[in-house]
Amino acid sequence: MIPAHTRRFQVGLFVAAAVGIWICYYLLSQAVAAGSQFAAQRSAVVTLRALTEAVEKAGGAGDPVRGIVGGFSDPTLASVRVIAFDGISLEASTAASDTGDLSAPRRLSRDEKSIYDRGQRLRAAVETNREEGSARKDEIEIERLAAGGIMLAAPIERDGAVVGMVQVETRPGRDDGAVVSPRSAVWWWAGAVLLFALLSNFVIREGRRWLLAAISAVLLVVAIAGYGRQALHALETHRRAIESSVAAQVDRLAHRTTALLAASSLDTTISAAAWDADSFRHPRGLIRADGTIDEAKLAGELAASASEVKKAIVAVGLLSLGILAFIGFGAASNIGLTLFRNRSSYYYILPAMIGMIVLVFFPFFYGIALSFTDANIYNTDKSIAETWSGIKNYTDILGDFNVAGRSAGGQLLFNYKNFYWTFYITIIWTISNVTIGVTVGLALALILNTKGLALRPIYRVLLILPWAMPNYITALIWKGMFHRQFGVINQVMEMLGGSAISWFDSPTTSFLTNLATNGWLSFPFMMVVSLGALQSIPAELYEAAVVDGASRWQQFKAITLPSIKPALIPAIILSVVWTFNQFNIIYLVSAGEPGSSTEILITQAYRFAFQEYRYGYAAAYSTVIFAILIVYATVQNRVTRATEAI
Amino acid sequence: MRTSKKLGFIAVIFLFSRFAVAQPTEIVVWHAYRAGEKAAIEKVVAAYNAEKASSGVKVTTLAVPYDAFADKISAAVPRGKGPDIFIYAQDRLGGWIEAGNTVEPIDFFLDKATKDRFLPTTMEAMTYRGSVYGLPLNYKVITMIYNKAIVQTPPKTSGELVTLAKKLTDRTTGKFGLAYWYADFYYHAALMNAFGGRVFDPGPKPVLNAPENVKSIELLVKWFDVGGFMPAEPSTALITSLFNEGKAGIVFSGPWFLGEIAKNINYGLAPLPTIDEAGGKPMRPWMTVEGVYVAGPSKHKDQAYDFAMYLTDLPSAKIMAVEGRQTPANKAVYNDAQVAGDPVLSAFRKQVEVAIPMPNLPEMTMVWSPATTAMNTITHKTALPKAALDLAQKELEAKVAALRKKP
Repeated sequence: MIPAHTRRFQVGLFVAAAVGIWICYYLLSQAVAAGSQFAAQRSAVVTLRALTEAVEKAGGAGDPVRGIVGGFSDPTLASVRVIAFDGISLEASTAASDTGDLSAPRRLSRDEKSIYDRGQRLRAAVETNREEGSARKDEIEIERLAAGGIMLAAPIERDGAVVGMVQVETRPGRDDGAVVSPRSAVWWWAGAVLLFALLSNFVIREGRRWLLAAISAVLLVVAIAGYGRQALHALETHRRAIESSVAAQVDRLAHRTTALLAASSLDTTISAAAWDADSFRHPRGLIRADGTIDEAKLAGELAASASEVKKAIVAVGLLSLGILAFIGFGAASNIGLTLFRNRSSYYYILPAMIGMIVLVFFPFFYGIALSFTDANIYNTDKSIAETWSGIKNYTDILGDFNVAGRSAGGQLLFNYKNFYWTFYITIIWTISNVTIGVTVGLALALILNTKGLALRPIYRVLLILPWAMPNYITALIWKGMFHRQFGVINQVMEMLGGSAISWFDSPTTSFLTNLATNGWLSFPFMMVVSLGALQSIPAELYEAAVVDGASRWQQFKAITLPSIKPALIPAIILSVVWTFNQFNIIYLVSAGEPGSSTEILITQAYRFAFQEYRYGYAAAYSTVIFAILIVYATVQNRVTRATEAI
Repeated sequence: MRTSKKLGFIAVIFLFSRFAVAQPTEIVVWHAYRAGEKAAIEKVVAAYNAEKASSGVKVTTLAVPYDAFADKISAAVPRGKGPDIFIYAQDRLGGWIEAGNTVEPIDFFLDKATKDRFLPTTMEAMTYRGSVYGLPLNYKVITMIYNKAIVQTPPKTSGELVTLAKKLTDRTTGKFGLAYWYADFYYHAALMNAFGGRVFDPGPKPVLNAPENVKSIELLVKWFDVGGFMPAEPSTALITSLFNEGKAGIVFSGPWFLGEIAKNINYGLAPLPTIDEAGGKPMRPWMTVEGVYVAGPSKHKDQAYDFAMYLTDLPSAKIMAVEGRQTPANKAVYNDAQVAGDPVLSAFRKQVEVAIPMPNLPEMTMVWSPATTAMNTITHKTALPKAALDLAQKELEAKVAALRKKP
């Protein structure tokens, strides 16, 4: 009988090696397929650029262009269209539909609007990139056609201005071909699994758990690394084949284009080295004008991609080792057993779990994923992977210590947009608000709790009113009260002989307006909580204290405070979180004035997201806020546990 | 049993009727109009539907609250869930075009006659990077609104304005000669443009601290600080109440202000004055133009454009002007006797001659925050104009650079 843990390691290796090698195989076949597509696209771009250069030499419009397009007739191209913006005209076309009445030159018809719009898009892209001195917008549009083949379009320039567009469609079926055989993947996998089965069944039957773990791990690593090496080699061979085919293409077209231009007695100086370009029309620089490959540059690119592949293989290896350990050491079987035994309980929580996943966990993790990108208004159409920027947002936020500096006059200046300044304001804001809320609330509760107080219900209702009103209405009223010229607060101050203050002018006074408003809003809650707790203190305690000769202050310290503590502490904890994220008051009263100095973290995150449209940055900012609150929650948990002991 | 048979029968009939009658092509229009403006556009739509009843095209409108409008468009349209046509000011246009698949370029449809139908500057507002993306419907500009009981002849130059305003100001009773929201960058732009100031150079390269901008703010400081004929910390609510209480003789504001004027105030409109300090050049307010845009993912672009043409044509423009009390971008409507005789509409028509369309660049949304901060520090006299604008320029440059990082 084979021990259970040996079986587990056998199963573990079986699964882990299968997963690891399958992922490697999948990545390899994806890379080869992408490479083939990339190759087809590149050679199509070369053809397009050669044709565009010839068309530009022919002036971009008129009979010379039709001559060039007619003479070009490349076997890889299904159709060529040349349009000129001037007069919205189709200058030349080899498309099967553009014959007879529809043959060029003619005005584009209404259902060809998308062609014209594409040309205008390319013109705008070229102008944008030129003006900004950047490469942000594609200057060659590439689209895969549903019927196979690729549609490409490039701008025609004349005297530095874009005046038209060349659009080509390639024939389908040029990029199928390279399919990776799974045979060697299966061999590596089967080899590792069988070898381990032999060893564990016959050689080390009664082996110790750690020995089995070590042997299976070594076999797993060897199998993945061995297959990975093969994959890397296959990729390199594939890439070299692509380069030489593109180089041959450039060479062939260079001869053809020169001949064609000479036949039309046009200028025959061509820049064939620039034809192999990316979508910004920047030459890749891998292929020289004479159709030879720049070996040094290619070797550099191969080395760079090899290091990427190696990283991926290491990651896959670690994942497989994790799976092996998970199954081998029994965690998998334990979890499976629990799930099976308590299956009815899991059925019951399933609906709630789905709800939580859709409404809470998905947005939460999406936000966290977004925080690692530089998503902004310009790239909302791109996926998270395309805008990935790593931890840059976090280093920008947390690594910027430029909080304060000295101006030319030696005056201390704060950088109010800095995270640490905003964090500091948030902390001051939270502490001062909670302090005010608790002090005022408790004092009012004590007064209301006086025995025999007349009209108590009326006072109570009046004091709860600030809480009952929607807080944005209160906030706007307070903002009005702080107006410099017409606000009631300044008018009262002037009446008493003071002078008017521009409240929203300096960070301190501006902060005070927020504080006053939120203080007004937050004391009723504390008052209600304390009042409830006060009323539940038995009167005998005080009577006994009076008999013992305790003063009022001693009674308060020794009886009242400890008795209301269980009610007050949760209320304080809650109000800290509320105040920390109190968006309405800051946004409506001071609006961060002056110069964002009184923003708190949450309002600042809002401004980054919806005024500056830096979604990724704002997501990172929110994640930092979340992290701060997590730390607070953990600490507070400890503290509450400590207080519960009393 | 009987009921279920009946129901089945009804269902069959229903199915048949659905197939028998051709489905009308529905063009959905989103707009943010309310009250009279909404009634006017609905009247135009009803007339269009009556005219097109035989062709199977039916236009339906949906009034979306203004606050949520732009975000709704940004979210819904690129995913194909939005309308076929939407109407909105040009200030978000650049952002939508950059985001892609939101606004359809209409260069292809446009001919010269259509282009000539509109005031040239309104057409300019619809153009982004050399392509036209919408037909201008209405425009809004700031102009001079004065209380006829206090101001007999409206000032034509800044010299006249200052003299008159000083005479009317009495700080002890809280009376002011001139009141406008000068601390707001949008309102200040009129003065800035008089000096030839601007926010972007081609590129678009931010130039918030251009010398012309500084000069215009220096003049503003002279007005409210040395002149003292304008209220401190102005806001729209404050200006409305001052004007309605007869405590402000002159207000610079737009058509939105007219609805807030009290019934007992007899007001008049006149073009903004020329600025002596800028060599007698007129104040040139920023104009917002409401454009009719065809949505990028719309399935009926041809029909949608046809309706956009109808909506901006002369008969519709007249309905919008006379009944909706709007100021159409259509030129010809101002030759109509009823429109030409209207003092409000003709005043805005006069003002628009010198108005400049507010930039429709996506970078424009980043201008407001630093510009507002600069204006606030300047009007609160906590910084000198040049220093405040330099700071704002630095912030704007950083923001634009952050947005333009290479993908």
